[in-house]
Amino acid sequence: MSTFVEFQNVRKVYRTGELEIEALHDVSFEIGRGEFCVIVGASGAGKTTILNILGGMDTLTSGSAWLDGTEISSYNKKQLTAYRRYDVGFVFQFYNLVGNLTAKENVELAAQICRDPLDAETVLRQVGLGERMKNFPAQLSGGEQQRVAIARALAKNPKLLLCDEPTGALDYQTGKSVLSLLQDTCRNTGMTVVVITHNSALAAMADRIITVKSGTIESVRMNDHIVDVADIEW
Amino acid sequence: MKHSMLRRSTMREIRQSLGRFFAILSIIALGVGFFSGVRDTTPAMVHTVDAFWQEKQLYDYRLVSTLGWEEQDVAFFRMQGNVRAAEGSQTLDLLCRGEDGADYVLKSHSIPQKINLLELTEGRMPEKANECIMDAGMNLGLSVGDTIYLSGSNSQETRDAVRYSKFKIVGAAHSSYYLNYERGSTSLGNGTVAGYLYLPPEAYEREAFSEIYIRFDQDDQIYSKAYNNAMDAREEHWKALTKAQAEKRYDRIVSEARKELQKGRNELAEKRAEGLQELEDAAKELGDGKRELASAAKELEDAARELEDARTKLEDAQKELEDAKQKLDDGQIELESAGEQLESSQAQLDSAAAQLAESEQRIADGQAQLDAAKTAIDSNDAALREQANALAAQETELEAAMAYFEMLPPEEQAKLTAGQAALREGREKLNAAQAQITAARQELAAQQTALDDGRNQLAQGRAEYEAGVAAYEEGLQQFEAAKQELADGEQAYADGVQEYENGKRDYEDGLQKYEDGKIEYEDGVREFEDGLKEYQDGRAEFDEKIADAEAELADAEAEIDELEHPETYVLDRSVNIGYSCFESDSQIVEQVARVFPLFFILVAALVCMTTMSRMVEEQRTGIGTLKALGYSEGQIMGKFAFYAGSAAVIGCVIGFAVGTIVFPTVIWTTYQMMYIPLSIKLVFDWQMALLSLVASLLCSIGATWLSCRIELQETAAGLMRPKAPKAGKRVLLEYLPFLWNRLKFLHKVSIRNIFRYKGRFFMMVVGIGGCTALLLTGFGLKDTVADFAEVQYNEIVTADASLGFRNDIHGELPAKLKEVIDAQSEKSILLRETMLDLVTKDTVKAMNILIPDTPDTFGNFMNLHTVDGEPLQFPGKNEAYVSNSVHDRYGVSVGDTITLRSEDMKTITAKVTGIFENHVYNYVLLTPETYASQMNEDVPYNAAYLNFAEGTDGTQISAALSGEDDITNVVLFAEMQERIGKMMSSLNYVVALVIVCAAGLAFIVLYNLTNINITERIREIATIKVLGFFRGETEAYVLRENIALTAIGILAGLGLGVLLHRFVISQIIVDLVSFKVQILPMSYVWSILLTFGFNLLVNLVMGIKLDRINMAESLKSVD
Repeated sequence: MSTFVEFQNVRKVYRTGELEIEALHDVSFEIGRGEFCVIVGASGAGKTTILNILGGMDTLTSGSAWLDGTEISSYNKKQLTAYRRYDVGFVFQFYNLVGNLTAKENVELAAQICRDPLDAETVLRQVGLGERMKNFPAQLSGGEQQRVAIARALAKNPKLLLCDEPTGALDYQTGKSVLSLLQDTCRNTGMTVVVITHNSALAAMADRIITVKSGTIESVRMNDHIVDVADIEW
Repeated sequence: MKHSMLRRSTMREIRQSLGRFFAILSIIALGVGFFSGVRDTTPAMVHTVDAFWQEKQLYDYRLVSTLGWEEQDVAFFRMQGNVRAAEGSQTLDLLCRGEDGADYVLKSHSIPQKINLLELTEGRMPEKANECIMDAGMNLGLSVGDTIYLSGSNSQETRDAVRYSKFKIVGAAHSSYYLNYERGSTSLGNGTVAGYLYLPPEAYEREAFSEIYIRFDQDDQIYSKAYNNAMDAREEHWKALTKAQAEKRYDRIVSEARKELQKGRNELAEKRAEGLQELEDAAKELGDGKRELASAAKELEDAARELEDARTKLEDAQKELEDAKQKLDDGQIELESAGEQLESSQAQLDSAAAQLAESEQRIADGQAQLDAAKTAIDSNDAALREQANALAAQETELEAAMAYFEMLPPEEQAKLTAGQAALREGREKLNAAQAQITAARQELAAQQTALDDGRNQLAQGRAEYEAGVAAYEEGLQQFEAAKQELADGEQAYADGVQEYENGKRDYEDGLQKYEDGKIEYEDGVREFEDGLKEYQDGRAEFDEKIADAEAELADAEAEIDELEHPETYVLDRSVNIGYSCFESDSQIVEQVARVFPLFFILVAALVCMTTMSRMVEEQRTGIGTLKALGYSEGQIMGKFAFYAGSAAVIGCVIGFAVGTIVFPTVIWTTYQMMYIPLSIKLVFDWQMALLSLVASLLCSIGATWLSCRIELQETAAGLMRPKAPKAGKRVLLEYLPFLWNRLKFLHKVSIRNIFRYKGRFFMMVVGIGGCTALLLTGFGLKDTVADFAEVQYNEIVTADASLGFRNDIHGELPAKLKEVIDAQSEKSILLRETMLDLVTKDTVKAMNILIPDTPDTFGNFMNLHTVDGEPLQFPGKNEAYVSNSVHDRYGVSVGDTITLRSEDMKTITAKVTGIFENHVYNYVLLTPETYASQMNEDVPYNAAYLNFAEGTDGTQISAALSGEDDITNVVLFAEMQERIGKMMSSLNYVVALVIVCAAGLAFIVLYNLTNINITERIREIATIKVLGFFRGETEAYVLRENIALTAIGILAGLGLGVLLHRFVISQIIVDLVSFKVQILPMSYVWSILLTFGFNLLVNLVMGIKLDRINMAESLKSVD
């Protein structure tokens, strides 16, 4: 598998007034195309910073970040927006659906700004929400909302699907079904999926597991024994 | 400790959310500013004018009696209880002429000492009786230092009432009696008073005051209840008092007149007796004269006779004298011939004497010559004898020498020989000389003989001559005697002549005297005849005069009998135009003040409410935490109440301060176009300040309480859990799929958002709508007010100029004037322009009356149409049209019968058959027939309207026409329009004020709302940013709602604005002007554009804020 994502000696320093916090220090890793990658680490280890940089939501201080052979760390603000728009799909911990749009409309919200979007209804049906397309988020359960969020990310037909604690706000069963949806998506569409979580149990289902600790990469390893989501316990 | 930490937290809260804090502060400031400013304006205006009138002691009563008042009346009123001052005053309308020849009607008053005082703006007060103060408020083209002349066309009565015919203007003043620029009407000229003139009281020569002004001992505020009640209470009493005092004056006048009449009668009797006596004396004198004349005639006859005698005598004497003269002349001639003879004989004698003398001389000369010759001969003879002796001696010698001769040398011999020869020669010569002497002796003897003969003859002649002389002397003696005789004769003659001359002179003197006497006599005769005639004339005159005097006395008696009892009027301040106009004008702002503040308070409450509820929502977890920590609900509420309350208090103080200063000042400035310039006196109203504070606190803390109430009732645990997101809801539009499905769903989002929060929607619509409405009202105000002059003078009055004539014109225009007018204009119409009082149940109001001589052509000069634009013809006989202002203000409608009253109480009644659009003056149109038949006189035309030819210069024509003697004034309507426009331009301040307030409102509402919107939706915005919305798209996503809400607000605001504008205009009543209620399309455009402009400005600021939103927000949990 070819290298799809690459971080080279990435360093990120946050400056709050006088205070300098080094969030990332000499972070380097690779993720192959079509891989299901889990980035795991404790709270404050720096995984969200990696996500922000990878998702084009933040810039790095030094080093470089690459996606599909392009250096995203050299992008300006506008290019970053375009990058988020065309290349990345986001799944948030708290779904971040627009409250006064129906499920379908939430998907369309993302789809309508893409070059080559997938049909909103098809995607929603894929995630198993064919019946609830016209419901508002408040009328959906957490799992359903997260499915809508995934559908919204998928409908953009992105190169990379980034998920930030996708199960963080969900109960155990719902979390599992969402995870399997992500896994299936990766398997079926060949989309590269990066899941960020503090739950190391989830690492079992990943192709690649990146462990982050105190702002640096502790380990990057390939998973030889991929476990099905259904079998993971946490 | 707990408290202080809570407070510290609150202070920090304020610091961290300054935008929100200021939003509350500024909307409260704006609300309070507007409320207090507008509320304070009327009191400040009234206070300003009140202070002026207190200082100048405006009258309380003006007492008028048709008989006038005297000083004792003034004193009587002064003695009444509660009277601070009473002052008699003169008022007289004067036709005046400036130095440049311009004519005006000026209302003259005597300069007051105690009541209705003047405010000198320029120059000084008069020091002499022929100095005056001019109107500082009206631009008459006069300046201090000019002289103003009383026109000759003033009535005799007027001219008698004023001591001088010209006055020097020494100062200009505003009069407290004239607060605005209305000067009232007059029966003189064109009925318009151009200004006032204050003259020293001594300048008037009238026996009575025109009116008495009373000032009571009060300082109540004008228009106040206290004042009105006090005045109402004394009205009846004063009416009675005034009536009684006027009756007293009537009685005085009547009794005085009767006394005077009696005196007149007595005088007449006296005069009659005197006259008769005089006539009798004259008759007697005439008789004496006649007698004297007769005796004089006799005397003259005697004198004539005497003169005749004297003349005869004179003639005799003259003849005698002539004879004597003849004789004398003869004697004279004789004497003259005798004289001549004497003279010739004397001449002969003289020549004889001369001859004798000559002869004697000659003889004497001859004797002398002879004697001389004898002597010469004798001497020659002697010489010869000597020579002969010498010769003889020489001969002797020679002979002696001869002897020796032979012995002598030859040379001596020669000499001797030569001597001998010379001696011989000498001898010979001596002989010859001897011969000559002998001859001379002979001749001498002969001559002696002749001489002796002559001597004889001479003696003979002398004897003869002496005899002649004797004869002559005798003749001379005779001549002298004759001469004496003649001289005596002449003397006698001269005496005679003298005597004659004397006699003649005496005669002539006598003659002269006679003739003089004769002339004197004739004069006497003539004098007598004259005297006779005079006597007869005197007699006739006397009879006539007596008859006249008797008639006069009878008339006077009739007059006294007919003298009507006086009408009296007790006029209070309400009849003063300035007083009553200012009351209604100052109320305008108060009326407006009732609507606007409500609106601002509503907006302020809404803003506070949304802001605070948002804040409480944001602080939900914090509230839960505090609650969990054990803080009481009251303490927590206190935190929010302090936050909102402190913003409100600060806002209230700022708003109150700025509002109560800016509003009265700006609005007062605009009032200066109608009232005399006074500087505004601001009023600080504690009650209103307190009210504002209470209202602001109620708004802010009330809103806080409402917002907190529900949240605080939840348990601490519940508060710490995130609030369930508000469910999305379908809006009405979604049930219209054909529309809904066509919308881009981003628009759908916006639409859903708009209707999601009803409170914010309402606030936005009210705020933005209010902004638009204010703008539209502001611009509309300008359109309405600034435009009425244009409509009036472009659309309604189509004439170009009006003329006033010096003299009323009955019938046709004089040919000369017609020629002048035709030369300058294309069309013209003759008009009667005057003021008549419209009498209605409630009021009496002066109207401008227009009567065209040819009603059919009046349409060329004034476009008559109804307010709705329907054309009108000219009214018929006994019909009238009134302008719409008369309809609007005095309730005169079509079908009503109106009564118009002139100064001398003549009335015209007419049926109103039309109401026409007109914006300047209150017009009533009548036909000449109506006027002529009801006033019983030909219409006295005094004005004309002109239409100039295309492309002519109005100013030049105006100048040309003004130069005409018979034309008093030329008004160019274009100039009038310009002037009104300029006057109205002060409204720009109000419009600017409204725009500033509107902008403030729009900014605060929009900013606050957008701010809330953004903070509330920060996760959503961060998410869509993460989704890859570009900056513009993100802004559009959020701000589209603003724009949409603004659009809705504008729509609502336009409707509201039209109503507000109508309301405000209906409150603004300016006398003589009626506005055309209109808002021009451009004002709509501007209102919309400005509102959108404010919106865009807010969006611009918000765009920056949006850009700053960190996408990491999207990762945060919901609070």
